[in-house]
Amino acid sequence: MNAPTSTDLDCVAIVDTTFGDVFSLIDGWRQRIEQYVATTAVDAAGIDALVETLVVPDLSRDGALIIGAGFVAQPGFIPDAPWHLAWWLGHANTFGVTGPAAPALRRLVAVEDEHSESFRDYTTLEWWRVPAATGERHITGPYVDYLCTDDYTLTSTMPAFRDGEMIGVVGADLYVNDIERTLLPAVRGTGRRAALVNASGRVVVASDSSRATGSLIRRGAWDEHRVVPCANGLALLVDD
Amino acid sequence: MPQSIRASTSAGAVVFAPLDGAGRAELVERRLTDAIVLGLLADGERLPSETEMAKRFGVATVTAREALEALRDKGLVDTRRGRDGGSFVTAGRDKTRSVLDARVRSLSRVELRDMGTYYSSIAGSCAALAADRVTDDDLERVRGIALVLDDDETAARRRQGVFQLEVAALSQSARLVREELRLQAEFAPLLWLWLREPEYRQRSLDARTAALDALADGDAESAREHTVTHVTGAIDWLLDTKTRLEDPA
Repeated sequence: MNAPTSTDLDCVAIVDTTFGDVFSLIDGWRQRIEQYVATTAVDAAGIDALVETLVVPDLSRDGALIIGAGFVAQPGFIPDAPWHLAWWLGHANTFGVTGPAAPALRRLVAVEDEHSESFRDYTTLEWWRVPAATGERHITGPYVDYLCTDDYTLTSTMPAFRDGEMIGVVGADLYVNDIERTLLPAVRGTGRRAALVNASGRVVVASDSSRATGSLIRRGAWDEHRVVPCANGLALLVDD
Repeated sequence: MPQSIRASTSAGAVVFAPLDGAGRAELVERRLTDAIVLGLLADGERLPSETEMAKRFGVATVTAREALEALRDKGLVDTRRGRDGGSFVTAGRDKTRSVLDARVRSLSRVELRDMGTYYSSIAGSCAALAADRVTDDDLERVRGIALVLDDDETAARRRQGVFQLEVAALSQSARLVREELRLQAEFAPLLWLWLREPEYRQRSLDARTAALDALADGDAESAREHTVTHVTGAIDWLLDTKTRLEDPA
């Protein structure tokens, strides 16, 4: 198909900046975590204290787009907590909050006992599996995250390493609502029928309201559109 | 983010969500009984303290105490004193079975049928939407979770619950997922009662397989139909069981 137009590229620049800002936060946390584990004997309390000091200021910032953030450990990496999540939920995250009280910034309570009947292996989930396989940044979703945000969510993750071995993933959650508000003007700015999709073709934001967020434009049908790649596996599909 | 790490993280949030209205002690008792019967609170598990429980349900401590007393009377909870004391779930299979049988008898046929109608319309819509919106990756993951035959009732119930929740999530509708969770908390103990019989654990596995095949084919109507038929079958069985309980002859 045709080469991208300048309005396509303007849109891609805004998309890449939006997710790039999120990943630069995550990358900052990742570096601090890697420095810490390179020089310190690892235990759950130490990791938790570190991750809390890293993510809480960014989750608390006014107008923060991220609504959850933290570090999820490679099984067995933390000797006293074989399966471990150091994950915090921001003020805007209403998960598990009922009634009129405003949610407070809080830690996600997750049961990590692999012998518990309801335990499931997080390393099979996309936000873990893909960055673990590729070593790259990955955006999972939009998906309904029924355990952590209770809402329609995008999760950005990247792997962290020690001596070349993966020690876990570092990441952050965003509400799709907020992303729509942020990116819809840019997608409309192409002046065409256009949709921002993830690597599977799931619609994140579309200019055309008949294309529901979460619906699929399957990869087999992508050559009907002008495909303009964005960073982190996203793509802008534009119709002339 | 950590989707699916522990289904009962959200189930747990539902179990202890605040209650309003009258008869709160009965509601607390009912919520905890359901959770015990469903295996969300496992045999031997320690319950939160009275004070903690009162806070989480949003009721007075005396109300939580009253509910615990009722559970003790039913033999579902045991309270021990001392340093390692507290209230512990003591639900054996026979006990949870008689609690459920009593509930089946107490509800009318029309209530049970209506429960199935409402649940199947939500679950059927989830499945139909999922058929349009599922990716191969999603399917592979849900197959891994759903296509296992359990030899134990509690595990079978949990698997059925997680499967329905995963299908709801595939619909991409946050509201449908929340409704599915709410309905599971309300109906699941009775709705999937047939999973106590090995024969019906196989039937449910066959139904999950058929629904997933329909999703793989992108066939929304077939996915809805398999889901509705599954629920209707479970309700038919429940009504037959009710008849047997009421008229053992």
